[in-house]
Amino acid sequence: MNLSLLTLELGVIGLALALLLIDLWTPPALTGRLGLAAAIGLLLILALSWNMSGGPPVVGCGGMFARDGLALFFKRLFLAVGVLVVLMGVEYRERLALGFGEFNVILLIALAGMMFAASANDFVLLFVAMELMSVSFYVLVSFQRSRLPSLEAGVKYLILSALAAAFLVFGIALIFGVGNTTNFAALNAEGVRLAQDKLYWLGLLMVLLGLAFKIAAFPLQMWAPDVYQGAPTPVTALLAIGSKAAGFVLLLRVLFVAAPVLAAHWSKLLMLASAVTILYGNLCAIPQRNLKRLLGYSSIANAGYLLLGVAAVNASGAAAVLYYLAGYLFTLAAAFLVICVVMRDNEDIGALAGLSRRSPLLAGALALAMVSLAGVPPLAGFLGKFLLFRALIERGAAESPESFRSYWLAGVAVIGVVISLYYYFAVIRVMYWAKDPPDLSPIIVPARVQIPLAVCLVAMIYLGVMPGAVLAGATEAVKALKF
Amino acid sequence: MNDPLPWLILFLPLLAAVLIALFLQGKPRLSALVSVGAVVVSFILSLDLLAQFLGGAMLSAKFNWLRVGHLTIDFALRFDALSLLMVLIVTGVGAVIHIYSVGYMKGDPGYPRFFGCMSLFTFSMLGVVLSGNFFQMFIFWELVGVCSYLLIGFWHRRPAAADAAKKAFLTNRLGDFGFFTGIILVWSMAGTMDFIRVREEMMRNPELFDAAATGVGLLIFCGAVGKSAQFPLHVWLPDAMEGPTPVSALIHAATMVAAGVYMICRVFFIFNVPALQIIAWIGGLTALMAGLIAVQQDDIKRILAYSTLSQLGYMVMAVGLGEPPAAMFHLGTHAFFKALLFLAAGSVIHGMSHEQDIWKMGRLKERMPLTFWTFLAGALALCGLWPFSGFFSKDAILALACEKSPTLFAVGIFVAFLTTFYMFRLILVVFFNRSKSDAAGHAHESPLIMVVPLFVLAAASIFGGFFGIEQFLAPQFAPAPEAASFFIKAAGFGFAAFAAGAVTAFALYFKAQSDPLPAQMQWTCGLLRHKFYFDEIYAELIDLTQESLAKAANALDFVLKLVIRALHGTAELTGRALRLAQTGNLQTYTLLFAAGIAVVLYFMLLH
Repeated sequence: MNLSLLTLELGVIGLALALLLIDLWTPPALTGRLGLAAAIGLLLILALSWNMSGGPPVVGCGGMFARDGLALFFKRLFLAVGVLVVLMGVEYRERLALGFGEFNVILLIALAGMMFAASANDFVLLFVAMELMSVSFYVLVSFQRSRLPSLEAGVKYLILSALAAAFLVFGIALIFGVGNTTNFAALNAEGVRLAQDKLYWLGLLMVLLGLAFKIAAFPLQMWAPDVYQGAPTPVTALLAIGSKAAGFVLLLRVLFVAAPVLAAHWSKLLMLASAVTILYGNLCAIPQRNLKRLLGYSSIANAGYLLLGVAAVNASGAAAVLYYLAGYLFTLAAAFLVICVVMRDNEDIGALAGLSRRSPLLAGALALAMVSLAGVPPLAGFLGKFLLFRALIERGAAESPESFRSYWLAGVAVIGVVISLYYYFAVIRVMYWAKDPPDLSPIIVPARVQIPLAVCLVAMIYLGVMPGAVLAGATEAVKALKF
Repeated sequence: MNDPLPWLILFLPLLAAVLIALFLQGKPRLSALVSVGAVVVSFILSLDLLAQFLGGAMLSAKFNWLRVGHLTIDFALRFDALSLLMVLIVTGVGAVIHIYSVGYMKGDPGYPRFFGCMSLFTFSMLGVVLSGNFFQMFIFWELVGVCSYLLIGFWHRRPAAADAAKKAFLTNRLGDFGFFTGIILVWSMAGTMDFIRVREEMMRNPELFDAAATGVGLLIFCGAVGKSAQFPLHVWLPDAMEGPTPVSALIHAATMVAAGVYMICRVFFIFNVPALQIIAWIGGLTALMAGLIAVQQDDIKRILAYSTLSQLGYMVMAVGLGEPPAAMFHLGTHAFFKALLFLAAGSVIHGMSHEQDIWKMGRLKERMPLTFWTFLAGALALCGLWPFSGFFSKDAILALACEKSPTLFAVGIFVAFLTTFYMFRLILVVFFNRSKSDAAGHAHESPLIMVVPLFVLAAASIFGGFFGIEQFLAPQFAPAPEAASFFIKAAGFGFAAFAAGAVTAFALYFKAQSDPLPAQMQWTCGLLRHKFYFDEIYAELIDLTQESLAKAANALDFVLKLVIRALHGTAELTGRALRLAQTGNLQTYTLLFAAGIAVVLYFMLLH
């Protein structure tokens, strides 16, 4: 067992344990500092991750744990999310009532779960990593024990997630039964034989459905708006960014490491799921008035866009997924940071009225985030969508000339983008052009929000304007996958 | 991205603009400091770059902006004699004007906004100048247009300023439309947008553009017609004088309007002989027409604006006659003396509490001596008197015309006469004749921060002819035959024109209280005063074409609106219907989950 493979994960868990201990001796007035310490600790681990080159892929821990470019790319993503969410938590501290110390610890453990997921090379590790995340989220979502919506969201998440996990574990059992192994590489070696076996199909489909829950894609997307709305805002952010990204890295690994033979076959299913998810998320978002719920639907729509890249079943599609997630991270983090500061007890979009005058910085940041989500150049969201569509068109060109499936799907996605303009820009309109805003008191933005916000904005623009470096990284990372 | 120096020159002004926009809105002094600092540092760095270039270093800066599959887009900066000269003018003259603005704009409520826009402009202009391909140039070209719009309309509460900004923007769109079409044509035929590669393609295959060659050249030239305000799109520039005077100096005299001339010099290889002929004639015509109009204007800034038009006409004519170095030489000296004239005019306006009518001024020589002497230096340079810089550059163009086309030479000489005439008219009325208003009696000299830039520019206007700009540029273009004999002839005619202009102006305007010309030549002067009725003709034309088109479009719009309403209604209804499934009820969700899973499994396994 090679422990150095797990340096980053162990670092995060060690940080969590250290925080748990220090919390015992920290007076309540100073717990905010603990959050800052956690953020600094995560930043250090992030810096450390740059020291580890992707290098030649290494598989360790009995073939379960893979350290390759793909894993490293996602781990950096998760660590960045972690820093931003922990800082959000510091801002959200007073609203958590009690247990801020534990909040951070559980958050870090969820993060460790995601990082393990990024390296999963075996269905057992996949399941354990997912459960590590899920169990942490059960607690986090219902963390505001005195607030009913939070509790309700927690219960919903618990029951529905357990249901999804049941399907998942059933699927794993079937796969093991047919293939006699749970290791991705070993399953791939037997791929051609297993692809004939309908029982293997059933197992794999159930696993995919379990993952569809995590990424909030059709047909298991119903939970997202309710849970997003009820959960404390930093937890919503972690769910929307981290949990979704973890779902996608697992999806990529299962499809393109364990079962590349079937993946090419199932592109039709993925395309269908993608189209329905895009339309569902965008159409349902239109009548929403609660901003967090709106972002819940938007998150469903974005899962659909990301599925485009998976459904393309080619390297550029997978690279586009990675790139899109990187942009999505900073865009959503900016939006949730603003929500954390502005929407204290009223999460209705109307509460944003006059924000441009109350705090130009916050209004500008949220506006930029919405514009990026809507996919307008020159922001990250535009380039991400461009790359996804391009991968799909590439797929269409490679398919037989009679099949227009890819083009149809691209058409549906474009319609989705057009619909989304409507509700994203409604948010901007309220901030800048609302008539007679009730409250015009200036909002003071503390430095611990200003700095991460500035980082998010710069990253959003950087990813939209200078895609070179990150795209090269993503292209390199997906070399771990087979198509 | 190996050498950071070129990138710093380009991006420092952008950084300043961003800082001002985001953080310095309420801090006028700091915003001015940041903006001035950025352009001054850029200038110093460009001097360093110039030293490297003269030392023989090959400069380039490039990075791969996007590479997806076969599509590769580079972002590259191009350094050669041509672009370096422009960088020096933009940052050097720009720095002086920035410093002047610190004093001129003092107390304006939009002070930080002004400096933010100026920095953004500097960035965009440097981008135009340093672009190595059409695509990049076009982006910056449009950015420059936006900055110009923002700055002309800087006092946007004044309707005249807002209208002028709109007019400038729309007129430029017209030119840019042609420019863009030209770019697309070049791209489709040559397969590349890179200047050097297009040129190589044309060398390899002289028939590349075939019959379209003249058309392509003229379409590209359309961009210059808009930006450099050539006939028939010249109408926006005089109105653009509604902007603050430093803006007129920097953007609408020294740099941006010269971008058109720069652009046609940059892509000179694309023009064939017929295209060049048309370009030369457009230039000559613009020079003549603007010179005539300037004779009958009363607003000090408008006189200078028409004079800018006519000088730009000279430059375009020089390019059309096949000699870009001569055009660029005049562009350089013109940047110095025209910026000087505008800034000195600004100083006059400042001293007269924002009065711009020359007939309300008078005897300002006594009250504003420093402004007077610097203005005089600029005016003499503009008129082309030896040894001022304007003499050398204008003479180069006249000599060229004398050699190539006698008609254009005659036009050039006549325009030189007109130039001297209207400049002396201006000087006599503003600085010498008796004052006719109270404001002129109370005029005062401007503060030091505005006067020092005048002296810097005056020095450049006087000595600018000795720098050897033309020789610096010559190696980049095909060597021209020596034209010494024409040179002497042109200089002789030029001086005669100067003398005639000065004498006529003295005869008519010395001690004049009002303009004597309209009484003597009623009809002609009316024509000139109304700028040949261009605005009126264009307004009629637009009424006839665009308005009827707009009405038709409006009718169509009504139909489309119904369609869109229907689409919107459908989307909204579907959204609301889907929402019904989202009950919030856990049991429903589990049921739908299970149903969804069942559907997927059925579809995949049994179907």
